[in-house]
Amino acid sequence: MERAMEQLNRLTRSLRRARTVELPEDNETAVYTLMPMVMADQHRSVSELLSNSKFDVNYAFGRVKRSLLHIAANCGSVECLVLLLKKGANPNYQDISGCTPLHLAARNGQKKCMSKLLEYSADVNICNNEGLTAIHWLAVNGRTELLHDLVQHVTDVDVEDAMGQTALHVACQNGHKTTVQCLLDSGADINRPNVAGATPLYFACSHGQRDTAQILLLRGAKYLPDKNGVTPLDLCVQGGYGQTCEVLIQYHPRLFQTIVQMTQNEDLRENMLRQVLQHLSQQSESQYLKILTGLAEVATTNGHKLLSLSSSYEAQMKSLLRIVRIFCHVFRIGPSSPSNGMDMGYNGNKTPRSQVFKPLELLWHSLDEWLVLIATELMKNKEDSADITSILLKQKGQDQEASCISAFEPPGPGSYERLSTGPGESKPDVLAGKQEASADCQDVISVTANRLSAVIQAFYMCCSCQMPPGMTSPRFIEFVCKHDEVLKCFVNRNPKIIFDHFHFLLECPELMSRFMHIIKAQPFKDRCEWFYEHLHSGQPDSDMVHRPVSENDILLVHRDSIFRSSCEIVSKANCAKLKQGIAVRFHGEEGMGQGVVREWFDILSNEIVNPDYALFTQSADGTTFQPNSNSYVNPDHLNYFRFAGQILGLALNHRQLVNIYFTRSFYKHILGIPVNYQDVASIDPEYAKNLQWILDNDISDLGLELTFSVETDVFGAMEEVPLKPGGGSILVTQNNKAEYVQLVTELRMTRAIQPQINAFLQGFHMFIPPSLIQLFDEYELELLLSGMPEIDVNDWIKNTEYTSGYEREDPVIQWFWEVVEDMTQEERVLLLQFVTGSSRVPHGGFANIMGGSGLQNFTIAAVPYTPNLLPTSSTCINMLKLPEYPSKEILKDRLLVALHCGSYGYTMA
Amino acid sequence: MAQTAMSETYDFLFKFLVIGNAGTGKSCLLHQFIEKKFKDDSNHTIGVEFGSKIINVGGKYVKLQIWDTAGQERFRSVTRSYYRGAAGALLVYDITSRETYNALTNWLTDARMLASQNIVIILCGNKKDLDADREVTFLEASRFAQENELMFLETSALTGENVEEAFMQCARKILNKIESGELDPERMGSGIQYGDAALRQLRSPRRTQAPSAQECGC
Repeated sequence: MERAMEQLNRLTRSLRRARTVELPEDNETAVYTLMPMVMADQHRSVSELLSNSKFDVNYAFGRVKRSLLHIAANCGSVECLVLLLKKGANPNYQDISGCTPLHLAARNGQKKCMSKLLEYSADVNICNNEGLTAIHWLAVNGRTELLHDLVQHVTDVDVEDAMGQTALHVACQNGHKTTVQCLLDSGADINRPNVAGATPLYFACSHGQRDTAQILLLRGAKYLPDKNGVTPLDLCVQGGYGQTCEVLIQYHPRLFQTIVQMTQNEDLRENMLRQVLQHLSQQSESQYLKILTGLAEVATTNGHKLLSLSSSYEAQMKSLLRIVRIFCHVFRIGPSSPSNGMDMGYNGNKTPRSQVFKPLELLWHSLDEWLVLIATELMKNKEDSADITSILLKQKGQDQEASCISAFEPPGPGSYERLSTGPGESKPDVLAGKQEASADCQDVISVTANRLSAVIQAFYMCCSCQMPPGMTSPRFIEFVCKHDEVLKCFVNRNPKIIFDHFHFLLECPELMSRFMHIIKAQPFKDRCEWFYEHLHSGQPDSDMVHRPVSENDILLVHRDSIFRSSCEIVSKANCAKLKQGIAVRFHGEEGMGQGVVREWFDILSNEIVNPDYALFTQSADGTTFQPNSNSYVNPDHLNYFRFAGQILGLALNHRQLVNIYFTRSFYKHILGIPVNYQDVASIDPEYAKNLQWILDNDISDLGLELTFSVETDVFGAMEEVPLKPGGGSILVTQNNKAEYVQLVTELRMTRAIQPQINAFLQGFHMFIPPSLIQLFDEYELELLLSGMPEIDVNDWIKNTEYTSGYEREDPVIQWFWEVVEDMTQEERVLLLQFVTGSSRVPHGGFANIMGGSGLQNFTIAAVPYTPNLLPTSSTCINMLKLPEYPSKEILKDRLLVALHCGSYGYTMA
Repeated sequence: MAQTAMSETYDFLFKFLVIGNAGTGKSCLLHQFIEKKFKDDSNHTIGVEFGSKIINVGGKYVKLQIWDTAGQERFRSVTRSYYRGAAGALLVYDITSRETYNALTNWLTDARMLASQNIVIILCGNKKDLDADREVTFLEASRFAQENELMFLETSALTGENVEEAFMQCARKILNKIESGELDPERMGSGIQYGDAALRQLRSPRRTQAPSAQECGC
């Protein structure tokens, strides 16, 4: 009865509280009943449940084997914690990782729990399995207040974890200033090294904790390297922590010199070093001058080392250029004083700032002496070789007079050898000596050219950083003029030098022209690389390129009015941002990325030549386009030309091909190359022939009565346009006909569309500087903008005719097409150009190929075979004259020889 | 942390020159000093060569930055452009060639004029091992040295005799001058720079293992 009553009672209580009122018998089940209550600090319930049970309060459970006291300490359930302690829970019980409840309370900053645990004499010095104590945890998280309470109970404030790290180390690393002060006040060892020899200052520096480093230094922390010799300064510089470096230097002024010396270390990242030096230089004018003077000294020493032949060219060259880049960067930024302007050095040597270049003068002096030395040697060499020739000639004369025995020996290089054993006694010696000297001179040039060129590059950088942007330093121009011959000799021997070191050429058109012929002779591929390298050189570091595009930078265009909307948006967009990257989205569509960009360029290039806009007209053969002289029918035409220029410039900048081909003369306009009368053929082949005829024939007695003027149709009315002032009354004669042809060509090809060309170039140059595009000729520009044309061989075969004895089924013809099938795309283009004079198939395919007078199919004509005979062609009638080769191998061989020698070079490797 | 030491440790850096006629063995002296080997395939130096070594002079670590100049006349204007700001110099002649000895006055004038008035110079009569072919006596040369306030040693780049000593004596003299205040390292163009070892009160273990420490003979 009583038991029944008690059971009912328990049931009622349980129901009322919505939980059990009795702990299960076994500890494992009981502990999971209690745990949620402890976590919620429901101490009454816990107390009630525990009161009548045999539960072991130190029972460890779960994967990490914690007691309920751990749970309470961890969650800050202070009432439960006290309750458990009263019930006899062990305050120093360690879980599987060696953590006591105090560790957990410290880690989570449970202040009340911590003090209660201490009251119940928890041991603060216990280390967990990693050697961490409660104060380590407090230090990591910067819980200074708690640390303050706890540290009084600590026997050794410098207790080490498994890595030999003390609480001070971790506090410094995390930059908790007050924690660091608290630990130091409690007697922590300020210079204590961990197992790797890293001190508190070392940790503060490794994470750029400026204030912490300051506190440590103020309290007398020593500047110590770790066991690998890595110093706190090394770490600061590695991390680019300028402010922390500043603090270090404040206490150890000599580190200043060390930082400057560090620019020679190739393992350090340049941008970090630059960041640090930039910060330091901006502290004060004197600091700025000191850093730059130091850098200039280091650069000078490195430059001199580079000029020592036993040093590693690669390493020293990189080192010198890196130091000079940093130097110029810091110089340009200037100290943060308000007088930051164009007063820097530009107006001569009066301002103190230009003083910083003084140490470099030693290097420039050596450079100058070197170049003078080489010029002298070159000169001597020339004289000597003149001497040698004259001696040789004399010698030869003597030989011929003396006897005819040796006269059979062939003249030329062989005679050098003969001379040294020849009959004359003194002369061969002189000669041998001179030959040796000249070989020696060759040697000096070949071993120094690269090194000197790198120093020249450094010189240019230093000269131009004192100039306003876009201006070339007069001193540098003077330098190049002075050493013109030596520099040309360098690049003639090793043209790679141009691309490696003579970047100044790209920025100085006046100097570029001196080297243009050498540059143009370099492989297309190398020039392309140089072009893109320089095009992108002014842009932010490469690791910034892949940052996400901001929503504002996306070009949002309407598909149904793509031309107009693109034009509007591009003209409003930030040019510098477009150079870095383009992101396009079509209105109402999701797609983004490279595919969309490609599509955009594709559609736009078709739209640009859309006849509805009247911007461009087709050439006579229908394959190419050039500006329409009547484009003004479209009132906005110049804006659109500018836009077309922008699109082509952008496409080139981002290596996107457009599918428009322009006339040869228009490519010349883009390059700034003058057009000639042959270019007229692309718009008016008949007229071009007439110009050719005038040039080829004597016109004196023809009575043409031409003057230097032409009649043009302007809105239906004929108007006389003079080719030059007063041209209407100047007769064209045999003597001045060339000028006439040139002027009339310019009128048709250039003057007629000058405003259009100008507008186009204005847009184009926003993305491609004129000096850079100059690296290419009109054929290469076409290749860069539009790529290699695709040629459909089946279409070609279908639209080919045969004549003079060939039939479609002849073996020679079969071989021919087999060879064409096997050709590379470039070779096919060469073949097409060889036969038709054009590298492209017109719109609509081979069926639309034009000849001199209208449609003219590609034709193959038979020619009788004689050994070594090459195929020839008549481009005006698109005819390939193919000898009747006896085998496919011979045909292939001869054809390829003809293509590679005979047609205009697409110099793609 | 997988890092290597970033900066060399030394107290001072001295800029040194090696000058003298062609063929006196300047490059071989430098090679012997740095590599402890005789360089038997030595060619004429083109322009200026460079070498460096850290030595211990009376407990101070001194980094010598040595510029070894070409002796040939045609390089003279290039090599002279390296003289500025040198703290010390080895002036080298060949004891078997009077011609190289006779040229010393010119070299000396050049050095004092272009480098600095305070430049410390040691005269080295090289090729001491070829005593049989001697054309310049020790006495004669030491008198010349005395008259011109030069230190003097006869050296052999072949055997290594007195090579280290030549560099060492020159460096010690400079160090003495710094300590006596006669030379001011802070002055521009002194050819002397501070290293950052001065502020490392506690030497890391690495320091004592530095090869230069063992080689030091003083």
